[in-house]
Amino acid sequence: MTAISSSEALGGSQLRDWLRHHGWTLGVWLLLGALVVWYSTLVPSFGGFELSLIVNNSLPIAFLALGQAVIVIAGGIDLGVGSMMVLTNVVAAKYMEGESFAVAILIAVVLIAAAAILNGIVGWIINVSKVPDIVITLATLFIFAGFALAILPSPGGGAPGRFRWLFTGSESGIGRNAWPAIIMLALATQVVGLWLVKTRNGLSLYALGSDPTAAYLSGVRNSKAKILSYAIGGGLAAMAGLATTALTGSGSPRLSIASTATLNSVAAIVLGGIALTGGIGSVVGASGAAIVLFILNPILTARGVDPNSARVIQGLLIIFVLMIAGVLEQRRQRRS
Amino acid sequence: MTTMTTTKPLLAAENLAKRYGAVIALESASLTVQPGEIHALLGANGAGKSTLVKILSGVISADNGSVAVDGTPIRLRNPDDSMSAGLATVFQDPALIPDLTIEQNFRMTGVDRTIVQEWLVKLDIPELDFDSIVRDLPLPLLRLVDLARALAHDPRLLMLDEITAALSADQAELVFGVMREWKERGRSVLFISHRLTEVLHICDQATILRNGHDVESLAPGEGGEARLVSAMLGEDHHESSAVREGTNTGDHVVLEARDLHRLDKVNGVSFELRAGEILGIAALEGQGQDQLFQILSGDRRPSGGEILVNGEPLVAHSPYDAIREGVVLVPADRLHALLPQRSVRENLATPLYNRLSRWFRLESDEKERVDGAIDRLDIDIRAASQVRQLSGGNQQKVTIGRWLAAGFRTLLCFDPTRGIDIQTKAQIYQLLRELADEGAAVLLYSSELREIPLVCDRTLVMYNGQVVDEIADARTATESSLLTAAHGLEGVST
Repeated sequence: MTAISSSEALGGSQLRDWLRHHGWTLGVWLLLGALVVWYSTLVPSFGGFELSLIVNNSLPIAFLALGQAVIVIAGGIDLGVGSMMVLTNVVAAKYMEGESFAVAILIAVVLIAAAAILNGIVGWIINVSKVPDIVITLATLFIFAGFALAILPSPGGGAPGRFRWLFTGSESGIGRNAWPAIIMLALATQVVGLWLVKTRNGLSLYALGSDPTAAYLSGVRNSKAKILSYAIGGGLAAMAGLATTALTGSGSPRLSIASTATLNSVAAIVLGGIALTGGIGSVVGASGAAIVLFILNPILTARGVDPNSARVIQGLLIIFVLMIAGVLEQRRQRRS
Repeated sequence: MTTMTTTKPLLAAENLAKRYGAVIALESASLTVQPGEIHALLGANGAGKSTLVKILSGVISADNGSVAVDGTPIRLRNPDDSMSAGLATVFQDPALIPDLTIEQNFRMTGVDRTIVQEWLVKLDIPELDFDSIVRDLPLPLLRLVDLARALAHDPRLLMLDEITAALSADQAELVFGVMREWKERGRSVLFISHRLTEVLHICDQATILRNGHDVESLAPGEGGEARLVSAMLGEDHHESSAVREGTNTGDHVVLEARDLHRLDKVNGVSFELRAGEILGIAALEGQGQDQLFQILSGDRRPSGGEILVNGEPLVAHSPYDAIREGVVLVPADRLHALLPQRSVRENLATPLYNRLSRWFRLESDEKERVDGAIDRLDIDIRAASQVRQLSGGNQQKVTIGRWLAAGFRTLLCFDPTRGIDIQTKAQIYQLLRELADEGAAVLLYSSELREIPLVCDRTLVMYNGQVVDEIADARTATESSLLTAAHGLEGVST
């Protein structure tokens, strides 16, 4: 009798523990599910076209949020990810135009590697200069956007149809097949997420963001971990750029796109439960939150809300979610 | 042991030196540890113990000197180098990542969970949930987990920096058992502690640092405590008692607790604290004393009972309300209470900001008050530009000094001398006595039971969230009688 009741108690506390670790992530995805259901009631028909519209268009911001998440978890913040996305978009559109699928893939791989190295160097500069992340990356926001303009002064370029299919499920960028985008995003989120919490290198990023002194004393090379976080963030920003290229079929070198994308990536990770102070949160929540932020647009449009007010509602949603999380956390602390 | 000299030393550190700008942390210190030896590293605060350990663990690099393990010179550029040379350190602040689970911490440092589990069993924590987040666990437990992790690295030399400071007496005894076992395996331990009884109890050899030099190396048993103390201080020294002659405390009750409850940690605590007295709280770790101090200082609200200040009920929503009634806290975690990156003066002046005049200027006596506190406490302000650069003892003086500058009636001191050398300790106790003589009331919890008879007028013994005993004249208490009472074993002591 006692054995049973004690094992039940254990099960209960395990569930509580699990909810504590993953509750926010779960909440974000439940919110997303609710929004998708709501959206499906607002449109005349909800099928592959509508679904792929949502997932495809969320892809760039979701990749960007993943990259930002990795950097913020490691205790940094990268305002330059938006420009890195635009830079990759522009380079890819310029050089992929008229090329075969194989060449486009080659270009994509080179671009991801180059972006990782370039952003790794940004991390190294932050280490060496001891200038706060936010200052250095504010500068890279302008620098990378400047590069993009130099490479492609006006919108243009293109990408092979099969390459576009890879991210959008359609050679024209608009279609009814949402699977490629879903798989692409799920795969990236899982790989990055598992790497972060299961491997020594991944955990060292959490360690650096959580407590740099304790991390160092545990044998973490803090400077290496920082560079690693920026390199991965850069690589994921390049993925966002490639997704943009596939989605739009062209390159657009505008600073406004870059800065909006950066701010959206920060909004997504905050909504996704990642602490801006570092060390806390899950990338799974971040990618879900990125889609939440996007899906608000078609919902509000379908409700006939003025697009300008949509921004206000996005902002209010972020505050609202963070307030609920804050209240829950306070209640938990008062209980313990 | 003449045979010892023929074997190669496990660790030989020669003439290590480190300076920070003009401040010399370590001038020239050498240390030799033999295999199978528990070696104490002793010295007053600022003698260079922590610096030496940080060099050996690769946290900071020495300006000068050499380190050899088994006769082979090694380079220590980072903690990794130290670990691969077979040295493992348990630091004063646990090197566990607060936002990760225990399991993730082990995974990150690449230790074998099953070996850690074996050591945890020996440390009497066999059922630790590896999925719990470090931030949620109490400090004493974390120190033991950190110790188990260090042992799982299977180091040749285990370095323990003040590991017993946060532990209860029975937990410390478990650590000693593990140290002895390590020694029996032919491994060595470098043990740093301010508690000389522990050193006499367990160490084979001791090296004493003073002002950045190693001044003596001896077997602690040879000369006893007096010899160790005189070597540390460089002069004859007597353990000073801060107890007043006679017990003529006033009758004015400044703080009264009536049947305080909080969750299941504080279960009906009542006492009266009078002006001019130092009331001690003797308790083992985790008997509700920390919660009691949180309630009294206004940090947490009691779930039952009431607090009376000068006969008036105090309902504190935050420490601000308690401070306004003159009830102030000196916590054990000094950096928690201070602004570590600000100067000594700014820290001393912080509580004065409550007294901003209407046009947002500090009242004109700010400078006098701050100067007065610095003089009175004899704070070493050479490193005054950032409080975190001060030694632990001087930091603690600043936390007390803040309240001297701001003014108070009741001082709640929660283990104020944790990790502080005996000289500074004596100064702090002397200061508490002076404050009491001037009419302040002091409530003092110390994790070192032997210090309670040295400073307190009256002592309450807490066990399991309740006051189980009151010793009207604390001077008559001894460490063992307090320890017996603190274990809840009423009446066993005589």
